[in-house]
Amino acid sequence: MKLINKLLIPLLLLVAVAGCKKSFLDRPSQSQIASNNFYQSAKEMRLATASLYGGPSVWQWHSNGFLQFGDVLSGNGTTGQYQGTNNNELFAVNLSASNGFVKSAWTGLYNLIGQCNSTILGIQQYAPPTVPAAEKNAAIAEAKFIRGYAYFNLVLHWGAVPIVEDNSKLIDQPLLNRIIVSDVYKFVTNDLTYAVQNLPVTDVAGRVTTWSAQGMLSKVYLTMAGLGGNGTRNQAYLDSAKKYAGNVCKNSGKTLFPNYYDLFKAQNNDVPEVLFAFQWQAGTGYGNGNTFNNYAPTNTIMPKKGGAWASMKPTYDLYLLYSGKDSVRRKATFMMNGDHFPELDAANGGYTATGSSMKKHVIGNDIDNSSPLMDLWSSPEHDAVLRLADVYLIYAEAIMGSNTTTSDPDALLYYNKVRTRAGVDPLSTITLDTLLSERRIEFAFEGIFWSDLVRLSYWKPAKALAIVNAQNRAFFNYAAGVATPDANGPVVVVLPATASSFTLQIPATELTANQKLAEAPVKYY
Amino acid sequence: MQQAKTIRLPLLLLWSTGLFLLAGNNAFAQTTKISGKIINERTSAPTPSATITIKNTRRFTVADEAGRFTIDASAGDVLVITMVGYLRKEVVVGKNNVILQIKLAETSAKLDDVVVIGYGRAKRKDLTGGISSISGEELRKSQPTTFDQALQGKVAGVMVQQISGQPGGGVSIQIHGVSSISGSNSPLYVIDGVIIPPTNDPGNGANPLNAINPSEIESIDVLKDASATAIYGSQATNGVIVITTKRGSVAPPQISYDGYYGYQQLPKRLPTVNLQQLATFLNERAAVWGFDDRPEFANAKYLGTGTNWQNELFRTAPMQNHSLTINGGDARTQYLFSLGYFDQNGIALGSEFKRYSVRLNLDNKTTDWLKIGTSLQFANVVENVNSSSAGVIGSSLWLTPDIPVKNVDGTWGGVTNSSGWVQPVVNPVAMALINKNMNYRYQLFGNAYAEINFTKALSLRNEVSGNFDFSSNEGFQPQTTFGKYTTPNPTISSYSSGQNIYTVIRNYLTYNKSFGKNNLNVLLGHESNMSKSANAFASRSDFPSANVQSISSGDPSTARNNGGYGAGASESYFGRINFSWIDKYLFTFNLRNDGSDKFPTDKRWATSTSGAFAWKINNEQFLQTVQAINELKLRLGYGLTNNQNIPANTYVTQLTTVANGLSGTAQFQSNLPNPNVKWEQTKNGNIGLDGTFFNWRLNFSIDVYDRKTDGLLLKVPYPAYSGTTTNYSPGAMQAPYVNVGSMSNKGIDIRVGTTNIKNKNFSWKTDITVSRNINKVLNLGAGDDASLVSGNSKTVVGQPIGSFYGYIYDGIFATADDFKSHALPADQSGTPRPIANAFGGIWYGDRMFKDLNGDGIIDTRDQTFLGSPQPKFQFGFNNSFNYKGFDLNIFFSGNVGNKVYNQLPVNQMNPLNNTNYFTGVLNYAKTALVNPAGDRNDVNNVYVTNPHTTIVSLRNDNTNENGRFTNLFLEDASFIRCKNVTIGYNLPQNILAKAHIYSLRLYANVSNAFTITKYTGMDPEVGSWNPLEAGYDGGYYPQSRVFTVGVNVKLTK
Repeated sequence: MKLINKLLIPLLLLVAVAGCKKSFLDRPSQSQIASNNFYQSAKEMRLATASLYGGPSVWQWHSNGFLQFGDVLSGNGTTGQYQGTNNNELFAVNLSASNGFVKSAWTGLYNLIGQCNSTILGIQQYAPPTVPAAEKNAAIAEAKFIRGYAYFNLVLHWGAVPIVEDNSKLIDQPLLNRIIVSDVYKFVTNDLTYAVQNLPVTDVAGRVTTWSAQGMLSKVYLTMAGLGGNGTRNQAYLDSAKKYAGNVCKNSGKTLFPNYYDLFKAQNNDVPEVLFAFQWQAGTGYGNGNTFNNYAPTNTIMPKKGGAWASMKPTYDLYLLYSGKDSVRRKATFMMNGDHFPELDAANGGYTATGSSMKKHVIGNDIDNSSPLMDLWSSPEHDAVLRLADVYLIYAEAIMGSNTTTSDPDALLYYNKVRTRAGVDPLSTITLDTLLSERRIEFAFEGIFWSDLVRLSYWKPAKALAIVNAQNRAFFNYAAGVATPDANGPVVVVLPATASSFTLQIPATELTANQKLAEAPVKYY
Repeated sequence: MQQAKTIRLPLLLLWSTGLFLLAGNNAFAQTTKISGKIINERTSAPTPSATITIKNTRRFTVADEAGRFTIDASAGDVLVITMVGYLRKEVVVGKNNVILQIKLAETSAKLDDVVVIGYGRAKRKDLTGGISSISGEELRKSQPTTFDQALQGKVAGVMVQQISGQPGGGVSIQIHGVSSISGSNSPLYVIDGVIIPPTNDPGNGANPLNAINPSEIESIDVLKDASATAIYGSQATNGVIVITTKRGSVAPPQISYDGYYGYQQLPKRLPTVNLQQLATFLNERAAVWGFDDRPEFANAKYLGTGTNWQNELFRTAPMQNHSLTINGGDARTQYLFSLGYFDQNGIALGSEFKRYSVRLNLDNKTTDWLKIGTSLQFANVVENVNSSSAGVIGSSLWLTPDIPVKNVDGTWGGVTNSSGWVQPVVNPVAMALINKNMNYRYQLFGNAYAEINFTKALSLRNEVSGNFDFSSNEGFQPQTTFGKYTTPNPTISSYSSGQNIYTVIRNYLTYNKSFGKNNLNVLLGHESNMSKSANAFASRSDFPSANVQSISSGDPSTARNNGGYGAGASESYFGRINFSWIDKYLFTFNLRNDGSDKFPTDKRWATSTSGAFAWKINNEQFLQTVQAINELKLRLGYGLTNNQNIPANTYVTQLTTVANGLSGTAQFQSNLPNPNVKWEQTKNGNIGLDGTFFNWRLNFSIDVYDRKTDGLLLKVPYPAYSGTTTNYSPGAMQAPYVNVGSMSNKGIDIRVGTTNIKNKNFSWKTDITVSRNINKVLNLGAGDDASLVSGNSKTVVGQPIGSFYGYIYDGIFATADDFKSHALPADQSGTPRPIANAFGGIWYGDRMFKDLNGDGIIDTRDQTFLGSPQPKFQFGFNNSFNYKGFDLNIFFSGNVGNKVYNQLPVNQMNPLNNTNYFTGVLNYAKTALVNPAGDRNDVNNVYVTNPHTTIVSLRNDNTNENGRFTNLFLEDASFIRCKNVTIGYNLPQNILAKAHIYSLRLYANVSNAFTITKYTGMDPEVGSWNPLEAGYDGGYYPQSRVFTVGVNVKLTK
């Protein structure tokens, strides 16, 4: 009896040990799906590509680079000294390698690239043969479109940069060289060409189509055309730009949204004019959403009445561009003393501005937008990156080519479509100057003007410098129909730009981590 | 305070019951009186306080100060005499023995101590591995809130650094240096056989081990070298800390109470400017800037001192601890029951730590072949972590003295200056008081065992143990306005709840047999661990009132929630052979095979092995006659251990669901996988020498070790172009865990204990520990130029891990010659910035940096290694004195040779800053003209009147990037801290005997009495969870100075 007792307990325990089967150590995550079990259908692939359009993937670039470079660095406006040294350096065109925006924008674009790379490789590796090739390629094309966009911004702002196609290769080889500018551009056109060929002609609102890719590719070719041009542009690239832009203008079936002012309301997110827009969601918390609503001038028009940190104020230089007739675009772009905006804080009768500040992206509070989860970190606005109007003006610029004036009827047709939509008289001749200022007016506070200046600097560096250095970046007061610039001048002293101002420094932390980035760039192809 | 009252009542009741029981016991004695005297066998001195029990009865007495006792006994009774430090003795009462003289022999000090060796115990004298032990009594001398704080300086080879001085705050512990750098370097904790899963940074400076009541600890054994730790296998690479709680013994019931009450104060305040200084400074700055005149400061000399925000935030805070223990047992069952209550208010408003704990340890010898028992501890921890989570310590340094805590109208004070460059700062006093951030933990540690003896030599032990941890957090943040700033979020209430359950099933066979003077001990076992976790979070906004904080009363349309599950598992087979040959030569072999879910299927299993040899030199013939040597042992050990301490599922990409405007939700690639990740291996060699000399009056232990870790498991910080991050960077993938390179830790630990004086009334003992560790990275995989950069710390081959990396400060531009002798920073194209007083130029009062690569400009290539945050030495120095009933203990501990980057003055001594300042800013670089009528923009006509200052001038320009990371604010943080001074008094027995009290000690204690250091921040002790980025002092919660008075009472023995 005693012996049986003694043996019984150990026997039970042996059973327990035997219970530890091989699968005991298989513990897949219960909160997340692993990539090797994903990409099993078109629906799953599209869930992965959707995250490339907004949310955390895009956040750092969007909140710390997109508008900061596009509009603050270029002299359209600034938040003043509130954001300290980082912001002042931008507005003063005096960027140091340790500037926080430079670092975050760089990081943000590479974060987006990392997401694109992993999505592309995941689909290639794990999508089963049962998924039709066209669907697989379309999903890859979406990721390549966005990756192309990210590399385009990198090469545009920093010139020679490292190229990462497979992030996991960095585990063995983390220290990359920079790649020469022309090869980065080649990489961009390769990605976008793939997107042109494999994206569908139509898709649900918000997803990119072949027209988005053709529009983006035309802009890239137009930019490349000026590289090292010294007064002229490369005709072959101009032809490519013209080809793709013309195709979008004539064959996409898309038209401009009739009302310029209403185009920037959240209820008109993703209308056909918009070829590519960031896809934001309300209520996502810090680090995931569209923060541009925070540039509002006052908390009264903010969701939950909080978060209007510092308003983005237009410069006197920007103000001067708008003719009296250009009031629709002016009021959609920035507010001035006395302007009334019925749609902002509508429940309390709308908002009447008391000073000058950016209006684009300022869409009111949670009730105005029927968006209860909207908060200071997440506006539901899907802000556009590429609009049809942009492609129209690219088309006109591609036709103008290396000249500084054109009366080409095709160029005039699309150029004037942009003007007449805004209620401004059509022109009979386009010059390089009117084209540049048209673009600046049409796309002010849409993150575009700096890239226009860089494009110009590629082939007419002196002209690009002259434009920047002639700007009066002071804020202004508006009263009784008269705008008066600040007597003290700009909030920070703006330095004369130099030829090197059009290429940003590689972030200091990045140089510390990889000193190879300080070496001369190398070829990729 | 409410809680304290409710605890006191039961205490009082127990106290009275105890007295009543004892009174009852003695009432039965009815035989002849036997009296006697107890003396020390060796010295013949009287031995006070021994306990005399009559065998098989409950009658006992205690010898008095002169060793004399009287007890009622009859002839034939057996007196059992017990006394700590002496061998037990039995004396039969003869017919005529009226006065007895009883000689007690001393036990041979520590050598017969029993030490936990992992799945078993061994006598210290038979150890082969490097194990340091500390008794619970020793531990409690510094009144620690959590036990890990008390290890500092007490155990050689263990580096302890406080991470946060918040009550119950975290401590970083490294045994024999940094080896593994993946998330956690902390050792494995085993409490009564319950493994506490490896601790990572829980955030908020909280400490996951704070549920353990230090009063219940019997001993702590620190297993340091491979031969000691290998038996614990996969989790033991960083050493093992084994905590044994007190248990019952075969003795009459004993009731003891330990309690103390104390208060804590901030030992040091930082030198912030007062109102008058602030006004003077801002007026001078406005004169240079040409704007920012503040009319309210026009007459600085009439202003007072204003608000001192540190005084407003920090307070003198009380703390108290009560612990009641009842233990005892008979031959069949032994028990220990303990209740604990601890309450500590933090010195910063909005911080508090409370712990309620209950312990029940039971052992039962069920039959002659079966023994069963349990260890159960239940603890409830309530923490207010509001001050850490709301960053109030930082805000208290940023707010200027012109701002009142509360305005005249009763609203909270805040920044009202409307200039855009004057940043609003939250009011820390308000944030500490009106916000709520409470952590609640309920933790149950449990262990149940059954031990079966098949034969006298062979036994099987089965254990089931678990750690059940249930925690919740309640948060409430009302939307508040401070001057021009309104907190951006609407009033929000949140609640989160989580559970972590960790269970272990363990079975092992032990065979133990002696053959003459030889002894063989064999262990064979299996163990499986499983962990499960779950959590949920919910919040809503828009509450009708701050008095209603339940989530249900918020606006349902603002509801948010989150949650998830997790699971992990590991399995092990292990064996050990200990062989002792003629009590001179000891051998140990360990073998363990571990499987872990952390790795891909083909890399799951790893084998740990170790071997050790010890030679008891004193048992050799040639030393037998040397009287001076009581014990001398040489230990040699070598082993290979494996480490798996990384999160689960890092070898495949995990996709996380994120909100998305396109499709509602989308899948985000949350990590970069490494499909080749495998176990990290550490080879560990150790040589130790233990000795005791001069009649046990000098004992020492020296260990020299060499650890080499290969395939270092590391979450690698790659450049940002990798799209990955090791820190917080929205949109980046979590960096992969990679087996990167190798690292070496070599070091030496020394512990010396001496009894300097010992006579009848007075004794003086000294203990010294010194730990020296040299850390060096040997290889980082990707070639010689590979580096790991995290913040301003850089890890490269040939340097210690996480060394500071930056520029060398070389004074300020003070003379025209300085512009000739020093390089200037360059713009994008590499052109030096102009020398100019205008914006965008470099001018007098800017900082100079050394052009290390000599290329004529200052850029990132001029950075170099500036020092290491790792201490060169850590030491402890303890002296204890006893004089009659008095005892005095003084304990110092310290670090030598570590650097700390003092981040606060970087901003607060920067004239461009617009939050508050340290007084040092007043010594900004002041410029003057050589020829007062000359050009103030002429570089040859200007000089700095205070050229030796380190503070830049008032120019509104930072083209020079004056705030770049330099050695200027990198300080030597060596320190000696008087960690603890205790004075105690044991009441004489003759007084206590009348009250039926066995012993009563009163004491007073000062912790962190003073610190000697050159470091200028609040506290030179800056621990970190992350060795790649350690040693940054960004306004830590400092350790407080604590004054306590306490009492230890034992009602019977």
